Amino acid sequence: MINAVLVFNNNGQPRLTKFYSQLDTATQQSLLSQIFTLVSARPASACNFLPLPPLLAPAASSASPDAPTQITYRHYATLYFILISTSTESPLALLDFIQVFVEALDRLFENVCELDLIFGFETLHAVLSEMVVGGVVVETSLEKIVDGVKTSEGTKVKRRAVNSRDSGSSIGRGTGFAGLGWATGTGSSWR
Amino acid sequence: MFEKSLVDLIRGLRGHKGNEAEYIQGALKECRTEIRSQDLDVKATALLKLIYLEMFGYDMTWAAFNVLEVMASPKVMQKRVGYLAAVQSFRPDTEVLMLAENLLKKDLTSPSIPILTLPIITLPHIVTSSLALSILTDLLPRLSHSQPAVRKKTIVALYRLALVYPETLRVAWPKIKERLLDEDEDSSVTAATVNVVCELGWRRPQDFLPLAPRLFDLLLAQKNNWMGIKIIKLFAVLTPLEPRLVKKLVRPLTKLIQETTAMSLLYECISGIIQGGILDMADSGVDVEEVADLCISKLRGMIVLDGDPNLKYVALLAFNKIVGSHPALVSMQRDVIMACLDDPDISIKMQALELVSGMVNSDSLQGVVDRLMKQLASSPSADDAANGHPDEGQTDMEQRLIPDKRGSENTPLSDDYRREIIARILDMGAHNTYANITDFEWWIEILVHLVRHLPADKDTTSRGLVDDTSSLGARVGAQLVDIAVRVKELRPEATRAAETLVLLSNRVIAFPLHGSGQSQVLRSAAWICGEFASYLTNSYEVLNSLIHETSESFGPRTLAIFVQAVPKIISQIAVTASSEWNVSRGSTMSLLLARTTEFLEKLSSHPNLDVQERSVEFLELLRLASEALSAQSTDSTEAPLLLTSAMPTLFSGMELNPVSAAAQKKVPLPHDLDLDVPINPDLPSILQSSQVADEDDSADDAFHSFYHNREAVQAMTSIQSQSYTPSSTVDHPSDTEAFSYQSAPESPGTLARRKAERMARNKDDPFYIAPADDSTPHHLHDIIRKSNGDEELDVDSIPIIDLQIDHTQTTATHHGGDEASRHPPSPRKKKPIRKFVVAADETLEPGDDAADGQLSQSTSQSQSQSQATSLSTTPVPHRPRSMSPHTGYGARGKAPVPVPVRPTRSLLTVDSSTLARLTLEGPAESESEIMRREAEEAEMAMALREVERKRLEMQREAERQRTVLGEGVDVEGTVVRRKKKKKQRVEVESEGAHLFQLGGGSGGVDDAPEGVVGLVKKTKTKTKKKKVPKVQSEQTGVDVDDAGLATGAGNGNVGH
Repeated sequence: MINAVLVFNNNGQPRLTKFYSQLDTATQQSLLSQIFTLVSARPASACNFLPLPPLLAPAASSASPDAPTQITYRHYATLYFILISTSTESPLALLDFIQVFVEALDRLFENVCELDLIFGFETLHAVLSEMVVGGVVVETSLEKIVDGVKTSEGTKVKRRAVNSRDSGSSIGRGTGFAGLGWATGTGSSWR
Repeated sequence: MFEKSLVDLIRGLRGHKGNEAEYIQGALKECRTEIRSQDLDVKATALLKLIYLEMFGYDMTWAAFNVLEVMASPKVMQKRVGYLAAVQSFRPDTEVLMLAENLLKKDLTSPSIPILTLPIITLPHIVTSSLALSILTDLLPRLSHSQPAVRKKTIVALYRLALVYPETLRVAWPKIKERLLDEDEDSSVTAATVNVVCELGWRRPQDFLPLAPRLFDLLLAQKNNWMGIKIIKLFAVLTPLEPRLVKKLVRPLTKLIQETTAMSLLYECISGIIQGGILDMADSGVDVEEVADLCISKLRGMIVLDGDPNLKYVALLAFNKIVGSHPALVSMQRDVIMACLDDPDISIKMQALELVSGMVNSDSLQGVVDRLMKQLASSPSADDAANGHPDEGQTDMEQRLIPDKRGSENTPLSDDYRREIIARILDMGAHNTYANITDFEWWIEILVHLVRHLPADKDTTSRGLVDDTSSLGARVGAQLVDIAVRVKELRPEATRAAETLVLLSNRVIAFPLHGSGQSQVLRSAAWICGEFASYLTNSYEVLNSLIHETSESFGPRTLAIFVQAVPKIISQIAVTASSEWNVSRGSTMSLLLARTTEFLEKLSSHPNLDVQERSVEFLELLRLASEALSAQSTDSTEAPLLLTSAMPTLFSGMELNPVSAAAQKKVPLPHDLDLDVPINPDLPSILQSSQVADEDDSADDAFHSFYHNREAVQAMTSIQSQSYTPSSTVDHPSDTEAFSYQSAPESPGTLARRKAERMARNKDDPFYIAPADDSTPHHLHDIIRKSNGDEELDVDSIPIIDLQIDHTQTTATHHGGDEASRHPPSPRKKKPIRKFVVAADETLEPGDDAADGQLSQSTSQSQSQSQATSLSTTPVPHRPRSMSPHTGYGARGKAPVPVPVRPTRSLLTVDSSTLARLTLEGPAESESEIMRREAEEAEMAMALREVERKRLEMQREAERQRTVLGEGVDVEGTVVRRKKKKKQRVEVESEGAHLFQLGGGSGGVDDAPEGVVGLVKKTKTKTKKKKVPKVQSEQTGVDVDDAGLATGAGNGNVGH
């Protein structure tokens, strides 16, 4: 299962923290900073799997499959998306999961950027809760996720995405997801 | 009044760069007042701001009650904020949770989908076992909700309920299964169900075998790759239980591997084949080799072709899973794996390193190690390189989220990785007592080079002494010593290597700049130089280096070894010099002695006792030697005997051999040794006759009988029970004190016995310094000899060192050709450069596991060390398979006590071990269990009735009071119910449920109306306090409750 979903920017400022087990705030923060230290030291060419931070280092006694052992991340522009999961999740599928997450956000906020996520704080949570419930993935279909969020937000939200005003610019809708495309083709392949 | 919205808060935050903390404190203060507002809009906004700030680490658990208020809001958007706050801020100790129960139940039955979803997605975060118990009946019907979106979330929520309250599955599983088997079900729901089944699957695989056909169909239908991956993962757990599945699975899996374009699915197919143990099932009628070839070639392709680091990483991960069982398959891919060692990515490097050390053999060792050495040598240490963050410029938050495509930098090796490399190199070499090493000269060279690459110690202050024995420096040193001792032929080389390390002039080159590890390595090197001083090429220089004034800065352990090595080298110099002794040699010698004496003099007041003792001892010896030297006439042609023969004999006794740690245990028990036979049946009479003892003993005795009278008797009897006949102890219980042993014939037996008795007497005396343990064998030996009479069995004569049962067995011989054929399983080199005999640990009676067992014993220490120091993030390759059905049948059935014993768990872990105890299939339960459960239920029902009766009684009592006092304050319904429930649960847990029926009564007292007179209030709080121990201890519960009842009744009277 997925144990936590974290989003933070290049400076380590959190944009989303979701823990699927109850954890006190101080521990959450130290975990966040440990992961940030690890992830920010990695060059872009490195693979998307992190070694475990000290806080999650396996206890020698228990090799329980419940323990979180995988940290998968992807870096988009200014943001890091982190998934902490048990070994029962497939590493490549998790990468695709992040991709879907970001694409869903991109649909909801046109040309999503970090500012959208800051101001669209609730929507960010809503998207995630459409995809993961209690650490188990419930939906991976982009359309259903977007529909789900739209239903839950109702008609109330009239969002003005930061980039939508200049949608005619160089990275407008015309290019579609070209920029988001998953270089190896693993992302687009299983949907 | 104007309140800030979340947007305002964020804008403000962004506007206050630099002093955000201050701004946040202000905002928090505002939130605190706003959240108390009566206006729900204000409240919800404040809460939303708090959630936002919580993300930055500002605790909001204090607002738990306000969270509930907002959750109860009629407006959906506010409700959503409330539920989000609950998810983000509720902790296991949040107390308001029980107040939320009704709200959750209400929202679960809401007709509005957005509202209905909120409790479902929130429950997994906040659920406790009691909440699960009460909410289950409301959640369950949502499984058949008309909206698939609700159904899929409900299934997952039920899974999380089951984790804290396993009984959930008993009712929920049939329905979940129904959803899975329903072919017309919405695909999202099916996928979610598969995910849940997969999560449950690895805990209780045996329960999911019946689902295999349906899962198989789903896999073939291939609608959703995510689901396919999960199904394959589940099958990997099922195949070990049901080997017939393998045959069915192989074809579709290989088809998928060949056809799919989705790398994730491809990878999981391969991983499933590996994890499901399909490669090990050669007898299942499957062409295992073909499958293995396919998998390996695909994995190889992932590494070579795509250049995608992620694929590289996962492929190595998969290789690591097979390397334990199929090292040959993996080592065929050595070229690509070795290339991964040079990958700039640390994660890939680590995986490759682990893999390489798993697959190394005598052929590949040299290449692998040389490559790693080159890596150590060529890349700069992380400290040297600038450690800046690569993307300072990219903080534009309006930048669109597109994948990061920065170029790769050539990262320097981190110290952690250096440490890992060195540890792995040492492991690879030492593996199986150097079984893979064919060229020891090369290996010694590597060890010396390794010293130069030792990384700086992490933090010398905190690790301190622990570091001393397990550090890499110590390990390198230990291996040098080990080789010098084990491989006789190599002693010259090993000594020369040690010499290069010890020589002062070399230290700058041989050791890393930061100097860490130097002390540990030098310790071993100095020992080798001393012990094998005859092989030294330049003993004068070595001696000079050892006694150089810089040596004093080393740690005490190193110094102690230096001090010990110094006289060894001096005597060696003297011996070589004595062959042609002349005046100049004599003066050189006296100069040497003088300098050494100076060095030792400084150390003779060293704070460390060991160093002090050794230096004082040798100081005296050397002074004697220099006296002898100076006393000699200047034209003497002979060196003083003290230097040439007396001193060397101090050190050249027995040759040192490696002795197995377990050797002592293997000393065979003489077959005719019977510890129950009295050693001397005439003992009492001997004791009687031996009334005279030497004065020391008598004084000692008197002293003891005076001060330790009772203890002495005890000690004596304990000795007697071992060696005396029982009758004799009965006969002479008091004699023992009056004894004196003065005239005992000085037979060894009596002496030994006396000594033993003295020791036994004194063993509890804190002021008595016990003699060293080695006296015991003599004692034992004497007893044995005595009891055996003429037979003269002598334990000491059992040869510990000579008894190498069979040289070929205990000694791992390393030379090619014929030797190799005699040891077919162990890989041997083909072209012997030199013949090396690696002495195995000496031990007695090699068991049936003869050579191998000992070898692994001897290496086990170094390996365990390496694991301790290893910072590898992935488990070692030989870890037990997590999928094994270990928790299965043994723990079947409902545990009688529903209190789960939770193992210590690491952070973020969601414990699912409770599930292992639950069976999903009814028939699996045994008759007796059902009977027992029925009995339990009946008992519980009775107890419940009783509780209810008591409660009503008390309520009536309270009402009577209320009517009398005329103060009709209503009892808070929720509180009453909560208490009742608590009690019910306690009853289930304990056998003595009746104890708590009384508890119901006192509960009633507590529920007395709030408005009663002060006196009643006072006693009420008193009972409340008393109640605390009741729940914990069943024994005292009755009394306290009785008291509670009594006071309750008393109050009633007062009220009247």
